[in-house]
Amino acid sequence: MKTNSQGGSPPPVTSINASRVNLVIIVIIGILSLASLYLGFKSFTEDQITAYIYILIGALGFAAIGYMLFRGGRPSSQTKQDIPQVDILTTLECPKCNLRRVREFKKGDYIFKNDEACTRCDGNMIISRIHKKKDPEKEKKQNFIE
Amino acid sequence: MSILIGQILQQETDFNVIIQTLFSLAFIIYLVYAQKLQSLQMLNQIEATLRRLKKIRDEARGVTLNTINEVGKPGVDVSNKVDRILEFISIPLTDMDPYGIVDKLDQYLKVNHNIFEAEVKAIAPNASEIERQNLENLVGLTFELNYIYKAMRHNYLMGKKTMNIYIILQVHMILPLIMQLVESLTVGIQATREGIPIGDSVGPIVAGRLMKDYPKRDISKEMVSAEVPFDGRTLIVMKAKGPGGTVGTPDEAIINILNEKEGKVKIIIMIDAAGKMEGEPVGAVSEGVGAAIGGTGKEKFKIEEIATKFKIPVHAIAIKQGQEHVMAPLVEELAEGAEKAGESVKRIIMDYSGPGDTVIVAGIGNTIGVGQ
Ligand SMILES: [Zn+2]
Repeated sequence: MKTNSQGGSPPPVTSINASRVNLVIIVIIGILSLASLYLGFKSFTEDQITAYIYILIGALGFAAIGYMLFRGGRPSSQTKQDIPQVDILTTLECPKCNLRRVREFKKGDYIFKNDEACTRCDGNMIISRIHKKKDPEKEKKQNFIE
Repeated sequence: MSILIGQILQQETDFNVIIQTLFSLAFIIYLVYAQKLQSLQMLNQIEATLRRLKKIRDEARGVTLNTINEVGKPGVDVSNKVDRILEFISIPLTDMDPYGIVDKLDQYLKVNHNIFEAEVKAIAPNASEIERQNLENLVGLTFELNYIYKAMRHNYLMGKKTMNIYIILQVHMILPLIMQLVESLTVGIQATREGIPIGDSVGPIVAGRLMKDYPKRDISKEMVSAEVPFDGRTLIVMKAKGPGGTVGTPDEAIINILNEKEGKVKIIIMIDAAGKMEGEPVGAVSEGVGAAIGGTGKEKFKIEEIATKFKIPVHAIAIKQGQEHVMAPLVEELAEGAEKAGESVKRIIMDYSGPGDTVIVAGIGNTIGVGQ
């Protein structure tokens, strides 16, 4: 397809390189941290200060590994829809008897369109509003610092 | 027990030295290669974003092609033609000598628009006027997404080629902003495809509500106006001609009306969508003075020029929204904001004009999905 010649995906070389480098670093830090922890526990009875230092280094090493994994494994915003599709509502109003009706948006609807006949009187309903349906999940409390 | 531990520790001394040497080595290596590692990590993140960008661009192109085939019924494969439009270049004006730049910009924008219009007409010969205008918006969105993708790819490859941390850093720094921009564009795809009013349509909604029961006439390209009696005053209400997706030519419309009335207009009220600051509520209405119109600044210049010539005060009403709302299907808060802005218009007319006066009310913005 034309798309490939036009854009062409970036070569995957770097990603493999970078993730391999990351992996090697993680493994090295892991081994060193393990060794450090081991030494720490071994020397605990003899020299407590040295032991604490070893244990601290080991713990920090594991913390670093956790951080690296967390950063690499972050799903970023990939979970979002690439091209979002939302539900749209159309509000119809009868200027004669003020009847209001809300229905799904249909292609061809537009605001102020003289739409279908009123179901209550002989008037014609006019589209007064077209808007996105509220997402109940997304409705979080907004904390304004006023 | 203690003897056993002592024995182990004795053996451990060598091991100890090895571990310490390893640690020191790791530290030195990290000192030397820290930048390189950071660069690689940043490049990795840029690449992930780039992949997503490419996917979005491809999907947008697919949607555009489908819509063209659906409404335009070209009867032949138009993908080549669409790709040609997506690669369209428009060379910016030189502003070395800025004298007369606004008129040059005016001409330049018109040529751009006309060519774009003709190209879209050629690929969608059977689309109605409204469908064609919406299609122009859709192709425009895809064009922008394609451009952003290409620019980001360029920066990524430059960073990779040079492995210079400062080049990579600059790209990495703007990634969140780029993705924000891209997301504010992608939400417009559904709206332009189906003809749904967007956040930018609030200005035309306010104007449309005022003029909907009165006879309309065309006053300039893709602009309509209506004379509306209001409490002894005459309102000349104008908006882009809907419900196709167009912003019309509000500057020319105001100039035409003012020339027609020989400047005998008390005030001009302009209603437009305006960017909100983070923390401000969506759909808040602000009143003020000045020509409320965005874009290239050409329209703003022309309106300010003619208002100054006839010494007419320009009032502004802004309906606040975030960047993510401008091209997205209208949210309920903005629909309510448009109603509130209508009240503001009436209040300004009552406060700043008397019976017998003529007032221009201009609803600025893209009128997609908004009739009159
Ligand atoms: Zn009715």
